[in-house]
Amino acid sequence: MTMLMDPAPSADALALATSVREYLAETHGPEVLRRLDAASGRDPAIWQGLVAMGLPGLMVPEDAGGMGLGLEEAALIAAECGRVCLAEPLVDTAFIAVPWLLAHGDTALLADIAAGNRTIPLPHAINPWVDGGEGLHSVDPLRRLGTAPSDPPTDPHLLNLGALMTAAQLVGLAEAMQDQAVAYAKLREQFGQPIGAFQAIKHQLASCTVAIEFAKPVVWQAAAALAAGRSSAAIHVSHAKVAASDAAWAMAETAIQVHGAMGYTYEVDLHFWMKRTWALCGAWGSRAFHLARLDDAIIGGAHPIGPEHTFA
Amino acid sequence: MQLQYTERQQAFRAEVRAWMAAHVPKTPLVTLECREGFDQHVAWERTLASGNWGMVTWPEDYGGRGLDLIEWLIFEEEYFRAGAPLRANQNGIFLLGPTIMEFGTAEQKARFLTSMARGEVIWAQAWSEPGAGSDMAAIKTKAIRDGDHYVITGQKTWSSRASFADWGFGLFRTDPDSKRHRGLSFILFDLNSPGITRRPIRQLHGHPGFAELFFDEVRVPVENCIAGEGKGWDVAMATAGFERGLMLRSPGRFQATARRLVELYRRHAHNAAPAAREAVLQAWMGTQAYAYNTYSVAARIMAGGRIGAEASLNKIFWSELDRAMHRTAMQLLGAAAELKQFGDGTANDWLDGYIFSLSGPIYAGSNEVQRNITAERLLGLPRLGAG
Repeated sequence: MTMLMDPAPSADALALATSVREYLAETHGPEVLRRLDAASGRDPAIWQGLVAMGLPGLMVPEDAGGMGLGLEEAALIAAECGRVCLAEPLVDTAFIAVPWLLAHGDTALLADIAAGNRTIPLPHAINPWVDGGEGLHSVDPLRRLGTAPSDPPTDPHLLNLGALMTAAQLVGLAEAMQDQAVAYAKLREQFGQPIGAFQAIKHQLASCTVAIEFAKPVVWQAAAALAAGRSSAAIHVSHAKVAASDAAWAMAETAIQVHGAMGYTYEVDLHFWMKRTWALCGAWGSRAFHLARLDDAIIGGAHPIGPEHTFA
Repeated sequence: MQLQYTERQQAFRAEVRAWMAAHVPKTPLVTLECREGFDQHVAWERTLASGNWGMVTWPEDYGGRGLDLIEWLIFEEEYFRAGAPLRANQNGIFLLGPTIMEFGTAEQKARFLTSMARGEVIWAQAWSEPGAGSDMAAIKTKAIRDGDHYVITGQKTWSSRASFADWGFGLFRTDPDSKRHRGLSFILFDLNSPGITRRPIRQLHGHPGFAELFFDEVRVPVENCIAGEGKGWDVAMATAGFERGLMLRSPGRFQATARRLVELYRRHAHNAAPAAREAVLQAWMGTQAYAYNTYSVAARIMAGGRIGAEASLNKIFWSELDRAMHRTAMQLLGAAAELKQFGDGTANDWLDGYIFSLSGPIYAGSNEVQRNITAERLLGLPRLGAG
């Protein structure tokens, strides 16, 4: 490889994400979401499939039975989890807890995690719940929220990992809703045309496309900054969380609008992605929290800004 | 992902920074949309050329430096960091130059590129007509073959730089019986040719930035046609791709605006609306996102890729971002926003910038057209009436 200054994910990472995308598209379609929703439960076969792919051990070092990959790859896979609205605790365990344990030199549980025998929902003071547990009910029928412990950790690195992986999932959720809205706009006919032929529909979807495509490089940049341990990583993570949340939320509202009355029903699967989006937009730091961090750094002056500081 | 500049790139940045520090005019130039300011900006083009900084991405044979796109981005970052003037020859650098390099004959390259690189000939564009704006295939101005010449008759409008520039380029209908995209040719012409009347059009800011051009049997040699008669549409589409794509607006310019906006906000924070704070943060976030994306696209192009319909996304993004940043500044300035000069005599650059930013979503293909392109070519939505 030549040395290109390139903030885009590497070809290897993209190839891995593509294989995960293909696997999940085959095994975790909307019919699975409907089935899980109807049964109010989980299907152990889904988790076993993820284990067979090696995904819980993605970031676990090879000597502990994992793949030893980094946050760049993990963020891409988290986006794939968002794309299929995955309800299994993969992201929380494998892409938030594992790197946090590694950062603290806490290796005791890693082999168990890589083998798929253990999931770790980590509480944090920023969240009023734990993702993985019982006792609280989310608007998202597939989320299993538990009550937070009385004295949760406040570790900023854990928060950054959680916010980054949430932003990455939101990218995948947004793209999935974009696909659903585009597919419906091609299919549904009114006034003798597919509604997607009308500019009123086209322009809304185009605006969402702009927001999504310009949120993605920000998320990959945040992953790189956090992976490299840059002192500015928190700023990039907050930027990613705000950009991905705004893009996904706008996409959700546009997608329901394009679907018309059908979008307002439980029969159209869009609601799973929309509800996950609302849930994740507030998780691991609200919009206000992340904007306040940016305010301190950008307006407060701690972070260098301007044309010569693109990669500060 | 590769996020380290090489030593060579860092050394290049230092070289640009030093040259800019020594040469960028200490007092801002008069706007290039009037005679005095245009002449100042042409002089700046020649200063740039004297340091061989005029057309940095062009091959050395044509007066450039043969820089790659990442080096170009570094150059642009330093250019705008230094507050250097806008480019009078932008049409030449980013639109016509690349077009001639891709489609021109050896003779055309020798004849037009070097003088462009030296800042000796300043170029205007002549796409639009009164009846052909967003719908460029509706062009009517005729260029009828007569021996070794075309005879051009008709009217162009919104020709940027045409009030003061030396030469122009545009699309003309060389086959009078043709319709739409067929029968058009890409032709270069001397703006001082007999039969051309320029009528400068006062823009929003009161200066004659662009012009109407009236062609009354203007004779242009056939060797001024690029890529052959009837090939104009394909050439123009490639040109429009350069314009909307990577090179029309490098991130540095917007990052410099965002930094100025943050500084403005700090001075006005005590009486700013809460929404202004978020708008200022959005300015930084948007310009950074644009920069990351541009570096990614540059790296992709360097690895052999091309920029396609996603150029439309870029154009929508930077033009609406620029307008939002300047609007935020106007709101922060409050009652002072309307003043052309502040009480201390300094020019209200935010007002000029805001007015200019309103043109961004309109020119180079309006953002409505860009949204149609996005929906049809990137998302695959059908054209109206196609089904």
